[in-house]
Amino acid sequence: MFMHILKYELKNGLRTKDLIIWLILFPIILGTCFKIAFGSIYEKTEKFSSIPVAIVEESENAAFRQVIEGIEKSDEPFLKASFTDKEKAEKMLDDGKVEGIIFTSDNISLTVKEKGIRETMLKSFIEQYKVREKIAMDAINTAPEKAQEVIASLTSETASSCRDIPLTQGNPDMYIQYFYNLIAMVAMFGCITGMHITMQNQANLSPLGARNNCSPVQKSISILACLTGSFILETICMVICVSYLAFVLKVDFGDRLWLVYPSAILGGITGVSFGFFVGSLTHIGEKAKSALLVSISMLLCFCSGLMVGNMKAIIAARIPWFNNINPAAVIADCFYCLNIYEDYDRFITKLITMAVISVMFIVLGFVTSRRKKYASI
Amino acid sequence: MENTVIKINNLVKRYGDLIALDHLDLEIKQGEIFGLLGPNGSGKTTTINCLLSLLAFDKGDIEIFGKKMTPVSYDIKKDIGVIMQNVTVFDELTVYENIDYFCGLYIKDKAKRREYVEEAIKFVELGDFRKFYPKKLSGGLLRRLNIACGIAHKPKLIILDEPTVAVDPQSRNRILEGIQELNRNGATVIYTSHYMEEVEQICTRIAIMDKGRKVAEGTKDELKRMIKNTETITIEILDVPDNIVKEIASLPHVYDTDLSNGKLTVYCSGGKHNLIRVLEVLQKNELSFGRVYTELPTLNDVFLEITGKALRDKEE
Amino acid sequence: MQVFKAMFKVMRSRLPSALIYIVCFFAISAIIANASTNDNKFEAKRLDISIFDEDDTPESHALAEIIKKSNDIVEIEKDKDTILDSLYYRRIDYALIINKGYADKLRAGETAELFSSYHLDESFSVVYMGQFLDEYVSTVKAYLSMGEAFDEAVANAEDAMSQNAEVNMLSRIDKGGNSHFSVDFAGYFQYMPYILVSIIISVVSLVLVTMNKKDIRYRTNCSCLKESSYTFQLFLGSFLFVFIIWLLFMIGGMILNKEFYTGRAWYAVLNSFIFAVVVGTMAVLVASFEPKDNVLNLITQVLGLGMSFFCGIFIPVEVLSDKVLSVARFLPAYWYVRANNMIADITQFSLNEVIQCYLIQLGFAAAMVIITLLVRKVKYSGAAIGTAVKKAAAAEH
Repeated sequence: MFMHILKYELKNGLRTKDLIIWLILFPIILGTCFKIAFGSIYEKTEKFSSIPVAIVEESENAAFRQVIEGIEKSDEPFLKASFTDKEKAEKMLDDGKVEGIIFTSDNISLTVKEKGIRETMLKSFIEQYKVREKIAMDAINTAPEKAQEVIASLTSETASSCRDIPLTQGNPDMYIQYFYNLIAMVAMFGCITGMHITMQNQANLSPLGARNNCSPVQKSISILACLTGSFILETICMVICVSYLAFVLKVDFGDRLWLVYPSAILGGITGVSFGFFVGSLTHIGEKAKSALLVSISMLLCFCSGLMVGNMKAIIAARIPWFNNINPAAVIADCFYCLNIYEDYDRFITKLITMAVISVMFIVLGFVTSRRKKYASI
Repeated sequence: MENTVIKINNLVKRYGDLIALDHLDLEIKQGEIFGLLGPNGSGKTTTINCLLSLLAFDKGDIEIFGKKMTPVSYDIKKDIGVIMQNVTVFDELTVYENIDYFCGLYIKDKAKRREYVEEAIKFVELGDFRKFYPKKLSGGLLRRLNIACGIAHKPKLIILDEPTVAVDPQSRNRILEGIQELNRNGATVIYTSHYMEEVEQICTRIAIMDKGRKVAEGTKDELKRMIKNTETITIEILDVPDNIVKEIASLPHVYDTDLSNGKLTVYCSGGKHNLIRVLEVLQKNELSFGRVYTELPTLNDVFLEITGKALRDKEE
Repeated sequence: MQVFKAMFKVMRSRLPSALIYIVCFFAISAIIANASTNDNKFEAKRLDISIFDEDDTPESHALAEIIKKSNDIVEIEKDKDTILDSLYYRRIDYALIINKGYADKLRAGETAELFSSYHLDESFSVVYMGQFLDEYVSTVKAYLSMGEAFDEAVANAEDAMSQNAEVNMLSRIDKGGNSHFSVDFAGYFQYMPYILVSIIISVVSLVLVTMNKKDIRYRTNCSCLKESSYTFQLFLGSFLFVFIIWLLFMIGGMILNKEFYTGRAWYAVLNSFIFAVVVGTMAVLVASFEPKDNVLNLITQVLGLGMSFFCGIFIPVEVLSDKVLSVARFLPAYWYVRANNMIADITQFSLNEVIQCYLIQLGFAAAMVIITLLVRKVKYSGAAIGTAVKKAAAAEH
């Protein structure tokens, strides 16, 4: 009996073509959008690269020029300087070709357009130059005999005082988490198929539900078969979605792609269960219910950082427990853990959380739809 | 020996203040085609839904096949075929698949099921539409599909809730014949409708419902015997003087007369040779008349007299 | 006005979900509105740094103090996962460990491995802090090599490090300060397109699809209602809904920012109105394809999210690549954002260009109307109905 209902649930689902097509098309379109939009942001804004700067020499400052030239010679230069005049420099700054203009006269000054980390680094660079000037002056003033030595020690290349402790082998590009959230959203949209299960099995939601209630099949078996069918459909959608992101868009999920699949599939199951639970709750119209489900899903995805990337961190700081129960956040976290953490502890915790959430939704859904007689149809 | 298939005892169902079923008692015997007749909103569908344990009711007992009906009485449900008022089929499944799906809920054996589905398709004459999707079917065909989905598993008890709504006369006749055929093959049938003719045509026993109450029950003839009117005589006549109308009205067994639109209608209750007596009066007074016809009461008359109104057109 | 009334009745089923969007948008806007300045003076970016002081000596405390001067210290648990999460989601920019034996080593003039830092990636912050630490260490060392005592050297280094460079902002005429369009308002208007798209398309399209369902359309066509009147009422109903939603946002904006729109803010108000109209026409276009309910939900999200990410609604335009922006030009939201950025003085304000953005948006609206008419013409033309009837007839027999 289970197989019989499952077979028709699958047939029915696969032939609801426009929904299936859109569930598959949806991540493909948005994924492509994301890829194009975020493709180069990380390299452009977060990852360190030489800062382009214009230098306007209002009066000759050989020492400064020497320093700049020294820097530009190193393997990974901190600055990319171009010497020019004031007018051109300002034009360059306004067009975004350089991050700042350094005016060299007796007093070195900086002109910038924005207030960001690169501008701050430029400021700090000038200050550093001034510090060295001051040290040299102090050295000449207090211990002239050692001045040469001091200046030599300042200019000599010293080993870095700071040792990096690498935290992860994963992809540190924080923009990739938009893709995690995209997968989470696709998974959450499984709730639409989940909702249909209740429509089909509850007498007070549709005539078809009433008809199915008259059959001698145990309701639990019928619901279970429908759930299984939805899980399978959602699994197909998730596999296509992840494959498209990983192989066509070449999104870097870290080196454990094979584990991304089961996580995404489990996420899809969570989404379906969520829809199943909400679907069984109230006796409101199908249209209103699906619209409600979608907007709740979007809200959960927002909290998980779909629209504003660091939303999850903000929530983690204020109401940390919410991230642990927000299904969208848990799903997205799974991929994050796979990418960033070497051990599996957190990943497994997330998987278990997802499983617990799903089971809870399913059980609650069963409990609410178990009520076999209805006050009105 | 007649076995009781359905026993409804003192059933009460309220929707808030509205009493949908008011202490309803029904008993349906094996082999009957039981008609549940009533205007829209009289509680027919509510009765069916309670019977099927879809609706919770406030009071009363329902027994089917001698056992108490509950939502988990799967052994009872196994032998029931349901044809709902709304067409309940999957839009995304073809005619064959729909029948197979619903039949499959009852019959596990695949070979047997295939045979049953084919029989059902033949029965409702949808053979040419096997691969069609419900959307492409016309109203009548859709209704037939709905019926096929309900009877494919050869149930012992078939419940049809207004299966002929919006169906053309050919399809309707086909459906009614089908129901009788099913009955001949041994199924007990409950049939709800507000079409008098249908019920009159096929049902062996009838209950009339109004405002959630059963107002009358019996065979066709029993019901007709319950009302005053036994014969209605209509005479096409141009003009009749008042005194002659009075004379006719005072004839034995005549309880009412009506003269309008060039027609004299005489309502009689019991007695024989009523027509002859009326015609004698006309002949005696040398009045010429046109067509004369007499009608025996229909269920419609029964219904009108018992409920005191025509079929209301209110939606349920 | 039966059609008009019916539309609003149909809308009711979508109101709960529309309400979720509206409430969330206001709530989030209220949170964002609380924190932001409108200052035209350069301020160095303060990094969020966590310091784990394993040395715990006066010297290490002194270093922490110096770092604290120009950065914000964030206290987090010293747990590898917590640090990793905080770094990844940019709650902190840098996680510094002052190694045990820092003071002793420094006193001895050793510079290697005084510090450790938890490393996620080679970001600007990491390079910046690395430079800062090296600088500090070599400054102390320089003073030590001048023969100063260690304490003295540390004090002098701190003194020397407090050099301040003069930084000017590239000046523009009429800066944000007196434009009557604060950064808060700009933020409020920034995120509005996504919400407008979500609400308007999901509600208006749904209603139009319902009203245009074959059975209902045929039935309405049979009534004595003039076709033009029917269309007009549909149009009026949709427009009124768009207008009400827009008005709600405008009133909401005033309440959140506790001031009436003045001066340049009116340009932003007009801009949002034009965009709302564009979204309205978009909704009509979507409806003309008669999507099913669930599909409509998905289309709405594709349009809303897609446009938001492409046109710089969720992420600032500056960080989008030129390629993306050249594609985004073909989306109305791009011009909305462009005008909004100019009004907010994020980019150079020019009234002509703002008006140009308005006109381009209106152009999109016009294009959308024309496409809608074409789609309808193809779908509902006599020929189409004819074949539909034929098909139905074929199905009968």
